[in-house]
Amino acid sequence: MRRIMQIISTLAIVCYIGLAGSLTATHAAERPLVWAESLPPTLDPHARFDVPIQTIMVNVYDALYRYTGNPPKLVPWLAESHTTSDDGLTWEFRIKPGLKFHDGSDMTAADVVYSFQRLLKMGKGPSSVFRGVLLPENVKAVDDRTVRFKLEAPYAPFLSTMPLVSIVNPRQIEKHVKDGDFGEAWLSANDAGSGPYKVNPETYQQRVRLDLVRFKDHFMGWDHNSKPMENVSLRPVQDPSTRVLALLRGEIDATGAYLPTDQVERIDKSKNANVSRDETMRIFLFRMNNKKPPFDNVHVRRCLSHAFDYDGFNKIVLKGFVERNPGPIPNGLWGIPEDIKGYTYDLEKAKAECDKARAQGADLDREFEIHTLAELEQTVQAAQLFQSALTKLGLKVRIVPGTWPVLSAAAAKPDTAPELWVFWISTYFVDPENWIGQMYDTSFHGTWKASAFYDNPEVDKLLRAARRETDQSKRAELYKQAYRIIYKDAADIWIYNTIQLRGLSNRVKGYQFTPVGSGSDFRSISLKD
Amino acid sequence: MATFLFGERWPCFSRLRDVTVLPDLGYGSMVRYIAVRLLSLIPSLFGLILLTFIMLHAVPADPVTSLAGENASPEQVAELRARFGLDKPLVEQFGIYVWQILQGDLGNSIFSNRPVLEEILARLPATLELITFALVLAAFVGITLGTIAAVRHNGPIDNIVRAVTISGLAIATFWVAIILQMVFSMELNWLPLRGRFDVAYPAPPLITGFLLIDSLLALDLTAFGIAAQHLAMPMITLAIPAIATIARFTRSGVLETMQKEFVDYASAVGYRRNRLIWIYVLKNSLSVVIMQLGLLFGALIGGAVAIEAIFDWPGIGSYAVNAILNFDYKAVLGVTIIIGIIYGIVNIIVDIIHAFVDPRLREGI
Repeated sequence: MRRIMQIISTLAIVCYIGLAGSLTATHAAERPLVWAESLPPTLDPHARFDVPIQTIMVNVYDALYRYTGNPPKLVPWLAESHTTSDDGLTWEFRIKPGLKFHDGSDMTAADVVYSFQRLLKMGKGPSSVFRGVLLPENVKAVDDRTVRFKLEAPYAPFLSTMPLVSIVNPRQIEKHVKDGDFGEAWLSANDAGSGPYKVNPETYQQRVRLDLVRFKDHFMGWDHNSKPMENVSLRPVQDPSTRVLALLRGEIDATGAYLPTDQVERIDKSKNANVSRDETMRIFLFRMNNKKPPFDNVHVRRCLSHAFDYDGFNKIVLKGFVERNPGPIPNGLWGIPEDIKGYTYDLEKAKAECDKARAQGADLDREFEIHTLAELEQTVQAAQLFQSALTKLGLKVRIVPGTWPVLSAAAAKPDTAPELWVFWISTYFVDPENWIGQMYDTSFHGTWKASAFYDNPEVDKLLRAARRETDQSKRAELYKQAYRIIYKDAADIWIYNTIQLRGLSNRVKGYQFTPVGSGSDFRSISLKD
Repeated sequence: MATFLFGERWPCFSRLRDVTVLPDLGYGSMVRYIAVRLLSLIPSLFGLILLTFIMLHAVPADPVTSLAGENASPEQVAELRARFGLDKPLVEQFGIYVWQILQGDLGNSIFSNRPVLEEILARLPATLELITFALVLAAFVGITLGTIAAVRHNGPIDNIVRAVTISGLAIATFWVAIILQMVFSMELNWLPLRGRFDVAYPAPPLITGFLLIDSLLALDLTAFGIAAQHLAMPMITLAIPAIATIARFTRSGVLETMQKEFVDYASAVGYRRNRLIWIYVLKNSLSVVIMQLGLLFGALIGGAVAIEAIFDWPGIGSYAVNAILNFDYKAVLGVTIIIGIIYGIVNIIVDIIHAFVDPRLREGI
């Protein structure tokens, strides 16, 4: 027994020394920028198409064009210029001279061709944007600095989709291709880019830890930032409350981009952190399955559109950190008719519409299901508020918690798609096509974005014409016409446009927000002394 | 039994030996026992795989949809599904999967395209470190509390221990975690809020994957301190319900043993009370507690899922949660199988320790 006690006390002493030592070490060491953004499951920019991968695309890779500022502006990045043929089918991009990849090799037009072909052949992530528009064999290098794209059909948003395609280094990837996997397994944990930061593959842990090291030879140079970050540590914090505490305690410098609205005040009150509020382009909506009775009846859809307490949700539940978005294009973008203010919460009007629907034989006596994304609390809050209003109208509603993979899979067909569900549509490229174009054109049926299964030949005609037309003012007119029809048909219930909230440590300087990439652009960031 | 417990140093107990000691079955039988137990794992694991496989395919989710991107056409989705073999009949998919497992391959993650086994093994040491230390802490505190409560049964100390253990079982883990974070990180500033290691200090070289052990092996006391600081709160949170369980089982075990004749006999011959209770009575009472440790190990793996999320502990719990939310079904299956194997092995180890402590168990071999 005595011996055991001796061992225990020795261990305790060792622990104590260690703890004391570590305390000094922790305080003495210089802490890099610690960014608590969610990490994607893979670092391959051609394999994913979601919000987390944008952090990788913006910092580790470059693209021909890029979005900067807010509202986002499309600026030439790797490209110095581009030309388009009169028929809108041939596009030529000229890349800047002297571009270098992280391994020091030169970037040429052949590498751009390789990148587009790799993306299209893999058939994952952003490749779906080019469906029916671009075939791999129609991307060609004209010379060392010129790339030519021959499109299948005129596609006006083509330029605005350029930031989606990261240019990768074939010399690094080809060495690691296994069983025709396009080097995907290797690139999931490594980098083959040219961006302002390089991945440190030694310390990378999937979804847990990503350390970035500054690439001093980045083609844009570093003159804009006198004290750039040499190292950036990405450390996702899963639990929302831990995330806020970690920021307040100074363990992290930034929360993720989905800070719950009830945490804003707490951070604002603290001495060492603040909340950056940036209007973005992410619309929140209740989706109705327009093919499923009784939602195939326009009066039912209008009835429901009048039954959601927009102000109650936006101003009280979300404390005004969002703004009402009346239709299927985010505020601030072009193509929106100015006079449309949105459906209002008016139970009298709702009742009148529901009565009309009943008179036309719509069955409003059965129980409806609202499907939510259970891990995202806001979807549940919205569903509960909606449920209480619908109950006042005498409608029976059940809230069904779900997850994204289950719901998005079910949304592929009208007979399995949820009749009513709630989600966001974020910015992937800044063009009405990203929202209204892909949400209500019947040719997109089968994708979750078009899972309202809205079917109106007139709208199809307008949206397709807008896609082909290259003159933006004419396109805007076409979108406005389509918008009015879809709005009148109450295809969905559009609620708000997001104001992105991100908790930031006061020592962070140079934070620049752009909707694409959510502000996780480390080139401009430095730390205060 | 008496020989085993008291050895030959206390001849006063030698008479007990004739009654309690069973014939020693020796080394060979122990090896056979372990082999039999290991073999019995195979059908359990097969059942586990089959059940998980069926359950995963019963859910109408489709990882390919989110993989293929926002506006992938049904044809593009179908093509990707074919590439992952998800278009084959279920029985064929199961057959292929079992064949892969037999070759030591758990398949590739649908999202990262990397081997699931590699991804799990990278995270497993973090979870095992957390659970092992939580269990050691729970055993140490739980057995001590349980014994004190039994010795002073129905007294005020017993009542306090009872109240503490009932609360330990009843309190929600995440609440404990948040309270610990508020007190020890936010107020007192003693411990880091989250994570497994400091972002600004180089981690010790990877040897065992247990940061505490690796830092000691590297003779880096600062790293050891950092790792210990990070481990403290998740370990305590995870240990609390286990402490309660162990304390309750120890208490009843010790109480029962104290009724045995050999205790009266030992007391009568003037044996020192502390030594009698803390060594001989306790050893005789631990049989049930040891069995509990095996079961608790399984429960702690489950508990670690929530704890890992709150403290950002980079273990397989958080990996499993991500896999489930994204419906990365090979990853979900992989985690289930690995946890199943660990659970099975831990229980075999517990049985062996049990058999070692209580030779009567070896009789049936």
